Amino acid sequence: MDKIELIVCIKQVPLVSELPWDPKTKTLRREMAEGMMDPAAKHALEAALQIRKVMEEKAVAGKKKIRITVITMGPPMSEEVLREALAMGADSGVLLTDPRMAGADTLITSKILGAAIKKVRPDFDLVFCGSAASDSETGQVGPQLAEELDVPAAAYVERLDIENGHIRIQRLCDNFLETLEMDLPALVTIPPRTFFPRHVPLGGLQQSFEGGDVRTLLAADIALSPDLYAAKASPTKIVNVFSPTAEKENIRLRGAAKKVVEELFRRFEDRIGGAAGKDLKISDLKIPE
Amino acid sequence: MDFNPCMKHKVVRKTVREFAEAELGAIAAELDREARFPREVAGKMGPLNYFGLQIPREYGGAALDSISYAITVEELSRVCPAMGLCITVHNSVGAFPILAFGTQAQKSRYLPELASGERIGAFCLTEANAGSDAGGVETHAVADDAGNYRINGTKIFVTNGGICGLALIFAVTAPDDPKRGASVFIVESEMPGYSVGEIEDLCGMRANPVSSIFLEDCPVTVDHLLGKPGDGLKIGLKTLDTGRIGIAAQGLGIAQGAFEASIRYAKERQQFNRPIASFQTIANYLADMATEIDAARLLLYRACALKDSGKAFGEAAAMAKLYCSAVAVKTADKAVQIHGGYGYSKEYEVERFYRDAKVTEIYEGTSEVQRMVISRAVLNRLV
Repeated sequence: MDKIELIVCIKQVPLVSELPWDPKTKTLRREMAEGMMDPAAKHALEAALQIRKVMEEKAVAGKKKIRITVITMGPPMSEEVLREALAMGADSGVLLTDPRMAGADTLITSKILGAAIKKVRPDFDLVFCGSAASDSETGQVGPQLAEELDVPAAAYVERLDIENGHIRIQRLCDNFLETLEMDLPALVTIPPRTFFPRHVPLGGLQQSFEGGDVRTLLAADIALSPDLYAAKASPTKIVNVFSPTAEKENIRLRGAAKKVVEELFRRFEDRIGGAAGKDLKISDLKIPE
Repeated sequence: MDFNPCMKHKVVRKTVREFAEAELGAIAAELDREARFPREVAGKMGPLNYFGLQIPREYGGAALDSISYAITVEELSRVCPAMGLCITVHNSVGAFPILAFGTQAQKSRYLPELASGERIGAFCLTEANAGSDAGGVETHAVADDAGNYRINGTKIFVTNGGICGLALIFAVTAPDDPKRGASVFIVESEMPGYSVGEIEDLCGMRANPVSSIFLEDCPVTVDHLLGKPGDGLKIGLKTLDTGRIGIAAQGLGIAQGAFEASIRYAKERQQFNRPIASFQTIANYLADMATEIDAARLLLYRACALKDSGKAFGEAAAMAKLYCSAVAVKTADKAVQIHGGYGYSKEYEVERFYRDAKVTEIYEGTSEVQRMVISRAVLNRLV
């Protein structure tokens, strides 16, 4: 490979979580919202930036050109997150915006993103997506996009290495650490956990607004079928929308070490084994009385 | 006329807000309590261009426009006014004069170090007997036959004094000339005869190491002279015009921080079985705060826009500084009032905003001096 094409799909989401839902359409009233780059997508971008740095350091002699293209679909103001991505270090941005794309569900979004990638970077090597966007938490676009592009995919990736045409990844799955390999081109989704995004440099921001490479593509530019209107074509019907609530409880276990450990295992045995990476039974432990 | 922020300004605001909340939000109260300047945070701010906000790219700066600059100071001050102070003073009265009046050699030598934050800048005008009246400056620089100088004198209340690597010293070079008797010198902190006094024990802005700076027979070669001999007053006045935009932004940020804290508290705090925001008196306070903050912001951004379009902005900057600082003091005062007894406690950030706000009416030209500047402009214009 003399050059490597990395694509990062990013999404602009509302800045605050407490936003008015439209009770009729059961969607978010986005016009009321200030936007920000979805946290998982930002981690995905950070992962791409880090892997580029690692590869550039490895290939000092080979001088491989590694290019990062960020793509977003949304209203015109989504350009903000592309500019931010350029300031963080991406090379170019693509804004997919068209009234015909409005109201797309995850399936149609994946189809549109797939069409755009095939159009602008047909020779892509690796696509990064956030594992799930903070506004709707479906986690569907990444895997569906892999189907659309007909490439292998791995979700919830926490470590990755690219070498000789394939990618090795690690992910936490059912509380076990998995190592997988895939041939390139491929797609990964990144959870907002491991690749903590860098702060955005102000100089980079100024430059990205002055001369950053951002192009806008309409439905016709990516050869979407002329009778495709995203809102009509989306099969998803939203039945209900709710905010998940998490209940927290502080528990203090008291008593002798043995008693505390026994109680800990009684309550959390399944999770202890997962965290330790192997099945752990209380009988395996030697606990002083 | 378009009152909508452009996309760049929205993104600059989000970027700085995210940085300030992540890096300063949790420690601002502790920095104030311990009167500690957070060098570890400043170290992160260097590569992100906070020390070179308007310095051109060729010297390693961010080359931002003035509204972006104001937004940056505003957002830092919304969380940690003392860090907002460090950044605005460094950029506007530390780096700006070198950019505006320096020779090519001085720019090449100093701007990269200032832009990276390797050297933090300060502007030293104030003395025991000279504040609003720059004519009272006693620090003097005497030239020898070769044109090199020796500086003697004491500067007080130097913002960034304790961390300063480059001080611009305002000194008398021709004692008999009231108009062109003063000059400005670039003094590096490692130069002989330069020393820093005790850190001042101040009411607010406690995380900024404000100190005296002593100059005892400090030898400076002629290439440390900024502009020509006698340019001091001109440089000083131009620098203060720019500085005022920064302090106005700081006042605005303090007001915004105090306002947001008040909104949160007024919605949460229950008295007589309902949130205090539902009482008309409290709601009216919030309405006044919102209105005044908005007016302050428009005044400030107008001054910035004038500056960027190359027009005279001194009067507009003075108005912005006068009004933003007044709004900072008033908003912080009302914020404490809304918080009641808790607002008087160090446990709540409005107590810190209350103490930090006051000095914005004092430094870089007191409110009385701003009124002088504004009234002179008005009287000259309207015959």
